Amino acid sequence: MEDRTDGRNANQLRPLGCSRTILNRAHGSARWSQGNTLVLAAVYGPKAGTKKGENPEKASFEVIWKPKTGQIGKQEREYEMILKRTLQSICLVNVHPNTTTSVIVQVVGDDGSLLPCAINASCAALVDAGIPMKHLAVSISCGLMEEGSIILDLTKSEEEKLKAFAYLVFPNSPLSVIDKVHSSKEEPIEHGIITSVSYGAMPVSGYFDCLERGRAASAAISEFLRRSLQKQSSDDASRASQ
Amino acid sequence: MEQRWANTSRLTINEKQFIEEALRSEIRVDGRRLYDYRRLTIKFGRYRCLPRATILSCKCYHLRFSLFCCNCREDGSSEVQLGETHVMAFVTGQLLQPYRDRPNEGTLAIFTEFSPMADPSFEPGRPGEAAIELGRVIDRGLRESRAVDMESLCVVAGKSVWAIRVDLHIIDNGGNLIDAANIAALAALSTFRRPECSVGGDDNQEIIVHDPEVRDPIPLTIHHFPIAVTFAFFHEGNTLVIDPHYKEEAVSGVRMTVTVNSNGDVCAIQKAGGEGILSGDVMRCLRIASLKASEMTTKIKEAVETYNAEVALKKVKRHPSLIAQKITVPDVEMKEASFQKTKELSADMENSPNQTSTSLTTTKDKDTNASIGRPLNWDPYSSSAPAIVSSSTLPELVGTSKDANEDQMMQTDEEYDPNLKKDQIASATGVSSGIHKQNSPPKSLKDAVKPKHKRKKNAERGAR
Repeated sequence: MEDRTDGRNANQLRPLGCSRTILNRAHGSARWSQGNTLVLAAVYGPKAGTKKGENPEKASFEVIWKPKTGQIGKQEREYEMILKRTLQSICLVNVHPNTTTSVIVQVVGDDGSLLPCAINASCAALVDAGIPMKHLAVSISCGLMEEGSIILDLTKSEEEKLKAFAYLVFPNSPLSVIDKVHSSKEEPIEHGIITSVSYGAMPVSGYFDCLERGRAASAAISEFLRRSLQKQSSDDASRASQ
Repeated sequence: MEQRWANTSRLTINEKQFIEEALRSEIRVDGRRLYDYRRLTIKFGRYRCLPRATILSCKCYHLRFSLFCCNCREDGSSEVQLGETHVMAFVTGQLLQPYRDRPNEGTLAIFTEFSPMADPSFEPGRPGEAAIELGRVIDRGLRESRAVDMESLCVVAGKSVWAIRVDLHIIDNGGNLIDAANIAALAALSTFRRPECSVGGDDNQEIIVHDPEVRDPIPLTIHHFPIAVTFAFFHEGNTLVIDPHYKEEAVSGVRMTVTVNSNGDVCAIQKAGGEGILSGDVMRCLRIASLKASEMTTKIKEAVETYNAEVALKKVKRHPSLIAQKITVPDVEMKEASFQKTKELSADMENSPNQTSTSLTTTKDKDTNASIGRPLNWDPYSSSAPAIVSSSTLPELVGTSKDANEDQMMQTDEEYDPNLKKDQIASATGVSSGIHKQNSPPKSLKDAVKPKHKRKKNAERGAR
């Protein structure tokens, strides 16, 4: 199965698209597309008060996942839970205690890698809303083929055919001001993996291969994210004055 | 950050008083005149994944209904922006059992979702009053006024009909959701294509749903476009505005929505509560609404036409680059001449569908002389293909499968169609097997001309 159906090679991602500030009422909004998978995310917050059961000493997050058509089912609830935990770990929750930030995700097109796309979109929307964060989150899907090779950024048909695949979320690579030579001697600041959701059975070595490949790909995606966020930051200045 | 802590969905008293006072001098919040609509943008999207084997059959006796998976077809989807209001509509279709009292009609259902991202006051979960009201008004306008032809959606009377579902997602609430959602629903329904299905099989009870690549999907028949126009009243009914902004909606006590079409028929009127309005004012609103409705109808139709034309052009443009790779004809000059011809023809295809029939007859003579003339053979089909391509043949060209076996299978069933299709397929994707088959029977190409005209007529009937 060397050729992927859309002609990409194993390490190629689909064309990425990101645009910020697309909605007027929402405090922050972003649209993220990976090929034909398109997700719209909006952020409202921080609003006063926390829900019952949440820790009032920290900021809490509420995620609402809206599918394209049909009723909300268990799959949507699972996505909401994963997204909430991911966002809680990247945001600074002690800055605004006893507040609730709502993130609403709307699926516009689904062609595989839906959860990674949604995580990327939510992260961009949080940036657009100005919620304080430790670092950004970049998400990628990796599939494990029978012969042990890894393919990135799965489409829907690939997800259905593969025996095992995983959605991985990494922190974005930091932009270092100091010299490259200098920094290579020390350990990178953030090396951990934030979230991993795996489907199907895969051998341990296969999983670690996925992690390695995913981390390498996340560098490319975080580069793209940084560029697209910086490009629109000039519009931010004019909005802040309003 | 501080202003977010307050409840942002309520207006302050100052803002309310300002809006009311300004309206006395006919000044609106965003600088419009009283009867002006905001800027309207309609965008369409086609979200499709790779084609799969989709020939399903269902035995009606056992009442087993097979769902045609919505991912493979092209769903009608539209995104409408009316000023700050942003609405998305998705149309999908399924084969289901009809209602008992209407056994030979399809069904149309409208689902509205007030997404919490549209307004901080929208709660997730059960739809509130406003969501239900919006759904009902659009439902009355579209379904009960018979705007969409339901009888053509019947496949087997009493057993299986197409159930069309329209999902409206309100993404951004800038005011006047009903009008924007109505436009989105109309735009999505206009670009929706359902797969063709035929009744066949052994006992003539099986329903076969055809793959979009094998048979072109069919558009819905829409008889008229019901346009909703919302009015907001201020100062005890003395001032009325069209297309209220969300701040104006919060200030006004009374709102009325009138659904009319460009023929001047009133499809629905919705005025739920609030202060009373003089009947003379209601008549005035109806007159204003019918003017606005005809403007809006032309805008929607233009947007749909532009979109269909774009899609068609995209498919035709694929044609010249692929000819260069696959054709190995000794006569190089003729090939270039035909390139020019096809390029010109594709450029005017939208304007002059009549011309194509004349070019067809001229090239027909060339066919008999040049047996090699593969580039010449391209001409009749590629020139007439655009004429057929109003809407039905478009999807076929896009997603044509590269499966040569399928072509052969098709040939055994019907003699003429595969020649036509192969030519179109070859012109779109350059399948080499199609090209070779093209070469061998030059006589069958001429014979293929007749059924093509029939197809054209059917396609035109289906499209309009």
